[in-house]
Amino acid sequence: MKLYCLSGHPTLPCNVLKFKSTTIMLDCGLDTTSVLNFLPLPLVHSPRLSKLPGWISKDGSINLEKELKECAGRVFVDAQPEFCLPERELLDLSTIDVILISNYHCMMALPYITEHTGFTGTVYATEPTLQIGRLLMEELVNFMERVPKAQAATCWKNKEVQRMLPGPLKDAVDVWTWKRCYSMQEVNSALSKVQLVGYSQKVELFGAVQISPLSSGYSLGSSNWIIQSHHEKVSYVSGSSLLTTHPQPMDQSSLKNSDVLILTGLTQMPTANPDGMLGEFCSNLAMTIRAGGNVLVPCYSSGVIYDLLECLYQFIESASLGTTPFYFISPVANSSLEFSQIFAEWLCHNKQTKVYLPEPPFPHAELIQTNKLKHYPSIHGDFSSEFRQPCVVFTGHPSLRFGDVVHFMELWGKSSLNTVIFTEPDFSYLDALAPYQPLAMKCVYCPIDTRLNFHQVSKLLKEVQPLNVVCPEQYTQPPVTQSHRSDLMLELQPPPMPYRRCSVLSLPFRRRYERVYILPELANSLVPSEVKAGVSVATVSAVLHSKDNKHTLQSVPKPPPVAPSKKRKRVIEEPPVTLSPKPLLSGAVPLEAFLATLQKHGISEVKVEETAEGHILHLQAEDTLIQLEEDGTHIVCDNNEPLRTTLRDLVLRFLQKL
Amino acid sequence: MDHECVLILPRVCEVLAASGSSLPDDTSLEKLLDWFTTITQTGVSLLEACPCLLDFLSNVAFNSTSGPSILSFTLKLAGLIGASEDGFKVLEECSVLGLVFDPRHWQEAGLWEDPCLRIGWIQGLKTILQHSKALRFFVQAGLIEPLLHLQTDSSLFVASAANQMLAHVLLLCESLSSVGCNGTKERDLEQNSLSMETNQNCSGVITKALEYLNKCLVLKETSQLSQSQQILKLLTQLLVQVRTPLLDKLLLTVIDSVEELVTKSCSQLTLPLMDVVLAANSRLSDDHDPKQRIGRLLSLMLNRNNPVDVIQAAAAWLRSRQYDPVHTAHCARVLLLPLDIVTGISLLDENSTAEELRILMTEQLKSKTCFSMICVCLTNIPQITLLAPDCLPCPQRRIVSAVLSLLKLCCGDTSSSSAGCVGVFRFVTGSSKVQKCSMEALSALSKSPEVEILLPEVFKLLTEYLNSPSSDPSVLQKSYQALINWIGVCTDLSCITGLLREDLIQAVRKRACDMRWEARDSTVEFLGHLAEVQSCRTSAGEEREPSNSLLGGCSFTVPLLKEALQDLESYVRASSISALGQTLTFSWQQGAALTQDQVEIVTRLQEILSQDSEGFARRAVVKYFIAWFSSCSSPTSCSLLVQSVPTVLSQGVADLDWEVKLHTLELAELLLDQAFPNPAPPHPYAVMSHQSHRIHTQDKESELLSSLNSLVDRGVISALFCFLVDCDRPVALKACQLLLKLRHTVCPLMVSAADTRVPCELPGWSWVHEIRKIQGVNKDPHTQGGSHIGSEAHGEAVEESTSAEGDSVCLCVCEVLRSLDLDERLSILTQSSDHIYNSPLSLLQDIITASTANSHPNSEPGQEVIVDCY
Repeated sequence: MKLYCLSGHPTLPCNVLKFKSTTIMLDCGLDTTSVLNFLPLPLVHSPRLSKLPGWISKDGSINLEKELKECAGRVFVDAQPEFCLPERELLDLSTIDVILISNYHCMMALPYITEHTGFTGTVYATEPTLQIGRLLMEELVNFMERVPKAQAATCWKNKEVQRMLPGPLKDAVDVWTWKRCYSMQEVNSALSKVQLVGYSQKVELFGAVQISPLSSGYSLGSSNWIIQSHHEKVSYVSGSSLLTTHPQPMDQSSLKNSDVLILTGLTQMPTANPDGMLGEFCSNLAMTIRAGGNVLVPCYSSGVIYDLLECLYQFIESASLGTTPFYFISPVANSSLEFSQIFAEWLCHNKQTKVYLPEPPFPHAELIQTNKLKHYPSIHGDFSSEFRQPCVVFTGHPSLRFGDVVHFMELWGKSSLNTVIFTEPDFSYLDALAPYQPLAMKCVYCPIDTRLNFHQVSKLLKEVQPLNVVCPEQYTQPPVTQSHRSDLMLELQPPPMPYRRCSVLSLPFRRRYERVYILPELANSLVPSEVKAGVSVATVSAVLHSKDNKHTLQSVPKPPPVAPSKKRKRVIEEPPVTLSPKPLLSGAVPLEAFLATLQKHGISEVKVEETAEGHILHLQAEDTLIQLEEDGTHIVCDNNEPLRTTLRDLVLRFLQKL
Repeated sequence: MDHECVLILPRVCEVLAASGSSLPDDTSLEKLLDWFTTITQTGVSLLEACPCLLDFLSNVAFNSTSGPSILSFTLKLAGLIGASEDGFKVLEECSVLGLVFDPRHWQEAGLWEDPCLRIGWIQGLKTILQHSKALRFFVQAGLIEPLLHLQTDSSLFVASAANQMLAHVLLLCESLSSVGCNGTKERDLEQNSLSMETNQNCSGVITKALEYLNKCLVLKETSQLSQSQQILKLLTQLLVQVRTPLLDKLLLTVIDSVEELVTKSCSQLTLPLMDVVLAANSRLSDDHDPKQRIGRLLSLMLNRNNPVDVIQAAAAWLRSRQYDPVHTAHCARVLLLPLDIVTGISLLDENSTAEELRILMTEQLKSKTCFSMICVCLTNIPQITLLAPDCLPCPQRRIVSAVLSLLKLCCGDTSSSSAGCVGVFRFVTGSSKVQKCSMEALSALSKSPEVEILLPEVFKLLTEYLNSPSSDPSVLQKSYQALINWIGVCTDLSCITGLLREDLIQAVRKRACDMRWEARDSTVEFLGHLAEVQSCRTSAGEEREPSNSLLGGCSFTVPLLKEALQDLESYVRASSISALGQTLTFSWQQGAALTQDQVEIVTRLQEILSQDSEGFARRAVVKYFIAWFSSCSSPTSCSLLVQSVPTVLSQGVADLDWEVKLHTLELAELLLDQAFPNPAPPHPYAVMSHQSHRIHTQDKESELLSSLNSLVDRGVISALFCFLVDCDRPVALKACQLLLKLRHTVCPLMVSAADTRVPCELPGWSWVHEIRKIQGVNKDPHTQGGSHIGSEAHGEAVEESTSAEGDSVCLCVCEVLRSLDLDERLSILTQSSDHIYNSPLSLLQDIITASTANSHPNSEPGQEVIVDCY
């Protein structure tokens, strides 16, 4: 059993598990942090961004004026943003049988894997994961295609050139694998390969393994996966949460008794408690609005935003923000808000019950009804006529490199009354803000990450008791910035097996058993004999038939009866007589009793010698040796066949025959 | 004693003896007993007053079919009767005594199992044991054995009562035998022999008790832990109470066993053992023999090997406030050791604490027990700050640094304590319990000498806590308190940089919008407290209030507080109102001109008073006006205040909350005091001519008249009248007192009532009716029929005015004041409101009624009326 690790990002994993002749890809996350190296894509012409000076190395030897621009003391690539894809050279992606998706954040690289690689398999995901994942992909494509940028920048990727570049660009890794965003067509094609599954539904893969998604409590339809054969069980835990937010709670008990547990997607903010952050978010928001400023919340169009809106719904009254407009701007804003209301079976119990009442499960419906929350596909169109300040705007993309958020950053960045509140933990907020410096706007960092923290995960592992744990190497040591925090790492016995990008791990457990079926008629013919209380043994002679990873024992086919021939008798070649095998012996020869029997048979002069393996009996008068060992008995006697036979029979008396 | 009660008592006794199960409520027996106790306390013999009790006693005792609660009551009653020597004699003669206090009697009846009965036995016996006869009975009946047996009873209440009883017995023996020793010379032979016997009894009891104590102390197995704990508690009790000869004897008997326990070092016994040792140590003077041994035990306790025990023992020593230079210094070191280890800031002088303890404690701190150890250490820091410098291993400044460092660790910042114990970090990080204890310790340390230099550091850390999103509301509150304490102590705030101030302003602003109301409440409170802190010096060297120099004063605070007036949570609204009061006090005192903000606040407050659904906020509004009125340099010159007071008073009258009403009365009192200031005592030798006296009186009269008129105009008088008939007793009482004061001031001088009528309008007829009722009831029972006649009878004190509203009514102040019998009213109101329902008579009647109701077959148990009262 092997694990191929194609992504180094612990929360955007992409691993391939080879298990019993199947090749299973676990998630395919897209590392979008690479876009931070690119200039923002403004929706409206920005004089500031268009007049940036090109970059020329100090000695003038390298001139990349066209590709690189200097902005606020840093160098950015002036081209359409590119993403860092999962590793594609480590194994042949066309051999992948299935891809299991655990949540909509972990499927953004799907088109890169399923298209143009020869992939012919199936993708499994839950319905909300597929639908919301589609929304996020659509949004991404929309963001990119709305502001087309023809030019591609490749010169800077030259190794020699990159080495000379300043700042973070110099240290960017695998830049040659970076790719531009996929097209809508590719998205549709990729998603057409998705097969929907429900929680705890069991899917057979080639008869070899069974896969089954479990609720992971992190987002709508998010799941952990169980991959099991008859005798082995692998659990894949990715992006799980024990907090009581909107999704169905995490199913922990089904993870018990795993041979291997692959653990990814822990919180990226182990020191920030989501509740505290939510409080921080609300108070900063209220503070800004009271002072007459606007609040900008760069966020994804699904996920934490539901919780933020719910929290604000309760907070608006108490903070007397009733008259402040809230805007949610995204190409998929409407679908996201509406989808969330219809996935009843994927919601937490509390919200599920509301589905049967005349009230929607999420309170944002009421915010919309009362006109407190308005949503628009983009800043163009209706929004511009309705726009009223001070206000709160939720919009993407959280990297601040593309999407409507770029416009608001340009619009509001100059006033210290305004505040940008970061809630998504995926991007470093300082890096995100870099091209907008100098910035007068206040910045608040309230990353809300509801995924498991180290305390919760160690409790979980204590409960489910996996034999082996595999996890990204980042989880096996404390964060670099807090090297003393031994509580911010996984401490397990035996220690977890770490992986990094491009690792290939041999998972430390051997398959020792395989289930074999016996046909009824064959089973009928068996004659079990009891070797000890409760254990019966029978010998079986059969033909092993293996097909589709199913093994069956069938009776040995009888030779076809010889057709009676009226013709001249001919010597028919008899089929080789299958000799019935010699009976199997079991048991041990008890020394005392054996000696007594020997005595009865007139052999009295016996010298017993103890050896490491058993005993050697020296029959002195007969000049014969009997070696009694645990797994064999030897009678050494020269030229006295009758004696040997007698002795043999005496030994056999003490053994059971099958 | 009430005659009626005596008449009804035999019937009650019958009921009790017959059933007992049908009591109106389970406290009625207690109440009955209380009543009997008060009777005996007045010196009346219970049996003479109520002879039926004796029958009751014998009845119950011989039948023993009653329920356990009745039996328990009977035992206690027997004790009460037997407490006097006469009563004892009677009980003895009718052989009730021996029977009721014989445990075997109850055991045979199978009733001894009930803890209720055992408690009754103990308490009855304890009450009876007041004189030598009772002691003789106690000894002869062999009751000491069962009593000793009860010391470790399975019921905690019984065991505890038995402990007290044993202590009581020993103390009685002590007092009786000392009387015996002193008083024998002058007595005759018979008495002499009596006291001889008493002495014998006493010494017998003492010997037995001491032997028992000694035997039980020694811990044979861990299952007897609770027993040893119980006995140690008893021992502490005795050590605190007994006097010298017995004290010595007691100590001599038990000291070996105590020593054995000390050397056994069982953690659960640390605290009770420490109590014993400390009690012994404090009772013994230096010349006592056992003192040295006790001292040695104390050292043993304070030097145990288990860090948890040592810390507990050290904390107990410091709490006991006993002083011994060696021990105290040692305890301070022990208690500071965890802080030293965790933070790595060396608080202890080299080689002062045994290295062994340090190693053990370091190990212990790496487990979960570190919480309790660190918290014990922190909660005892206030004691440590009180110690003399020579008892402390380091200057207190270092302790402050260590606490600061610990607080940093708690929020995950380890930069300051690289030498600390890494194993503890994972436990203390984010622990709000440790944070709270540390904050309290930090507050206590603000008063330590020479710590002012650390203010910037403290300020910075507290601001970080206030800013931190993960701070628990209770931690936030403690942070604010600590900040106030430090700012209050430090006279020079020039060390606080602009950057730090900016951080604090940000934090306060943010917390004022916090999601959790507790956080908003603490913030608002903080603003109020900060405004009250005494002035300090700023960087420019000028004197300013801290609120001004830190937050920019009212221009920052008032808008925030105004915003908080709209808060959804009533506590926050109430706190913001009082904080506004505190903030504005200074400007009121200065007589500064009102700002637009203040005018708006007054409008908003009046809205709250008239509309807010929660009492807290409305109470705060009235208090705001009280504060304004009392701190204002000249209330009359502030027109807004003068305008608002009548509104506040009238709304206060109409309020439903009795506390709002009471506060309104306080405001009225202030107005009264202002209108009639206490006259300066006249010069005793001042000569005053008749003429001038007359003029003086006339002047005074007209002065009074105008004051009274102004009070009427402001609505004070009508408020007082309305409150007088209020259904809430405390309100009516206070109003009555104020009206009496008013009468005292006004009426003697207003002789010429006819021409100095001061009319006062009441807001409605219902009040007038009430007042008339009082007048009618008190003075003129015959004229109660019509309200008009009532008013005429009293010099037309009430006039009807047919005003436009149609229901306001005029009273004539002085007339009403005279005609109302305020003194009578006061005496009624002073009695507690349940004086009728709680009388012994009603109790007895209740018992009888309940029994008849219960014996009635038709009554259903579910139909009883449950009265909800507060």
